[in-house]
Amino acid sequence: MILNKKLKIALYSGEIPSTTFIERLVSGLSEKGCTILLFGYVTKKIKYKGNVIIRGYAENRFYKMYLLLRYTVLLFLFRNAEKKKLDVYIAKEAKKKAFAKMKFYPVLWHKPDVFHLQWAKSIEDWAWVQDFGIKLVVSLRGTHITTTPLSDVRVANRYLKFFPKVDGFHAVSKAMAVEAQKFGADSNKIKVVYSGLPKGTMASEKRKGKEVLKIISIGRNHWIKGYSYALECCKILKENQFEFEYTIIGALGAEELEFSRESFGLKEKVFFTGNKSFLEVQKYITNADVLLLPSVEEGIANTVLEAMQLGKIVIATDCGGMTEVIENEKNGFIVPVRNPQKMAETIIKIASLEGSVKQRIAREAILTIQHNHDEEKMIADMMALYRQVLNKNE
Amino acid sequence: MKIGLVLPSLPGYSETFFRNKILGLQQNGIEVILFVNDHKAEGYFLNCRVIKAPKLGGNKMKVMVNTALQLLKMVVINPNKSWKYYLLNKKDKIDTAQNIKQVLANQFVLSEKLDWLHFGFGTMVLGRENIAQVIGAKMAVSFRGFDIGIYPLKHPNCYKEMFRKVDKIHVISDDLANLLYKQGFTQRDKITKITPAIDTHFFLSKAQKENSILQLTTIARLHWKKGLEATLESLFLLKNKGINFRYTIIGEGDEKERLLFAIKQLGLTEMVIFTGKLSPEKVKEQLEATDIYLQYSLQEGFCNAVLEAQAMGLLCVVSDAEGLSENILNGITGFVVPKQQPKRLYEKLHEVINLSQSQKEEIRQKAISRVQQEFTIEKQQQEFLAFYE
Repeated sequence: MILNKKLKIALYSGEIPSTTFIERLVSGLSEKGCTILLFGYVTKKIKYKGNVIIRGYAENRFYKMYLLLRYTVLLFLFRNAEKKKLDVYIAKEAKKKAFAKMKFYPVLWHKPDVFHLQWAKSIEDWAWVQDFGIKLVVSLRGTHITTTPLSDVRVANRYLKFFPKVDGFHAVSKAMAVEAQKFGADSNKIKVVYSGLPKGTMASEKRKGKEVLKIISIGRNHWIKGYSYALECCKILKENQFEFEYTIIGALGAEELEFSRESFGLKEKVFFTGNKSFLEVQKYITNADVLLLPSVEEGIANTVLEAMQLGKIVIATDCGGMTEVIENEKNGFIVPVRNPQKMAETIIKIASLEGSVKQRIAREAILTIQHNHDEEKMIADMMALYRQVLNKNE
Repeated sequence: MKIGLVLPSLPGYSETFFRNKILGLQQNGIEVILFVNDHKAEGYFLNCRVIKAPKLGGNKMKVMVNTALQLLKMVVINPNKSWKYYLLNKKDKIDTAQNIKQVLANQFVLSEKLDWLHFGFGTMVLGRENIAQVIGAKMAVSFRGFDIGIYPLKHPNCYKEMFRKVDKIHVISDDLANLLYKQGFTQRDKITKITPAIDTHFFLSKAQKENSILQLTTIARLHWKKGLEATLESLFLLKNKGINFRYTIIGEGDEKERLLFAIKQLGLTEMVIFTGKLSPEKVKEQLEATDIYLQYSLQEGFCNAVLEAQAMGLLCVVSDAEGLSENILNGITGFVVPKQQPKRLYEKLHEVINLSQSQKEEIRQKAISRVQQEFTIEKQQQEFLAFYE
């Protein structure tokens, strides 16, 4: 019965629009016939194809009041009993009561089948949905799980309290699933759904003849991206008289990196740029020889998937779920985390690889994405998770 | 003599450098006035008058009111000086809007008659390069590390104007002077090195007892320039060698999450302790229980903590960042390791651990006597008196 019913899914990330991955989920699921509800803070007006209902709020005080009023009236007239139950909860648990009502009422009114929380840190705010017949699914991504609980004991305790009760988890990698179990998440309720990319095209063959190996990294300036190790690797490459150029997209203005670049004498070889658009990034990847992911922790880096789809050679550290994507020397290269020496050795090795070997690896990379990281597959897997969660009661 | 000291805020309890300097000058009959950016500062500090900057940021109403007040001050109290300031700025090709902003924002420094206007940090001078000339005072600037080691990376040539106008520059180590030369400063005779000092009566060594588990300590703000991540990586290698130890980090800062994650990933959770900030008494207690003091910074002007550790007779292993290689005499009062190379730090630690008792004792004694002779507060206070002659 559930299999035929159209799913009504709330994808909550707190912001509309959200990250690329979540936006793909929104459009992909709605194309498959799901009704998608988006709640949260609207940062810009956006139109979706398909059945996507946006009930967010902006900074505008009048709009917030209108939103609160509208749903107060609707609930009062048609679902007063449930409204009262939620009000009791808000009175007890919420700090800013009016704000909580404005956030929660639309969710209660629209009653999604599944409330899919994208960022685990807010789980305390949304656990209440389970008391109203809404299934709670939580995504296990990145730093919310791997690092935040370390420095914030309250977050760790929150996870310990709420994870055992969650109806289903989406983990970006097997490694992330293991992490979540440390907080009491039931392994039977965790489904690994890998990030999926829309069908892409292989990059055109880069012009040959250049001796300088072009390396790039893409990602925001955060310690977890391990760029300081990449710079130490560059120092070793320079000491070995290896000709290279390294660009980090998104690292402009990073004081620590500028310091190391200066200190290692790499001003002519290492470049930092600001953030670039998706298309510009694709161009950078196309023009590079190697994509380097020096991270100390990851879920599964989307930039690596994008580069592999373009048939690029990728070097990633063995953190998080990266070894679930890359098999060393088969479809890319894996190096130990926090090890600039090994990173440098691998780069030097790649530069001297036969063209046929590189082509083989590039082909394998593309195949990996087609088989395991296809957007259609991601959407199908996610819907399977929702159905699994909804069938629990049957 | 009247000396104006320009600081971001009133010296904290642990900022002994400025506190001792102020006291030393006052003991010799010099009046010290403090000009601070912190608009919430109190009116008096260590018997110095404190003159605060106006609040020109935040609440729009308050900004308008304060700007009007500064305008009033400018017209009624400092008309001539303000005009002179404006003209000097104009000569330096500062654009009009910026110029007016500077004149209004710095009214609080124009009103006193001073012999010396001393900027406590390099960055304190920016936007105020002409004030000393305006009030008829000599200009001095202290450089302590970040100001010359890191700030100019993102703001090249920021000190160009100050270099032309300064009368004296104070640095805390030779390497910092070298960084100034790299930035284009050429007048070597205007630079005076006055190293930091510590209270050698407080940081006294006790008889060293052997700890059953090796105790390592670092006192540092949790900032990337302190090289704590590299330190942890070297300790990872030490642990793999089968050496048991406890590493205590005294300090607070933004990098805590990064370090906690590194500790977890390197399997050092049981062996590393964060104490947060501690009082000087507690710091001393911790140092008394320490075998080896570590300071593997990427950038360090000089480092008081390393002086304190030497004074207490600890074996010190530090990086060669700027002032540290002057702070520790390698192989004599401690050990210096090239920075940003965790493997080399590990090798040095291993070497130090395996020194004989007499070798360790020799290093300790040399460290203690050197600090007692060359890094006392009394000596530093004398040097500052000479600085202003």
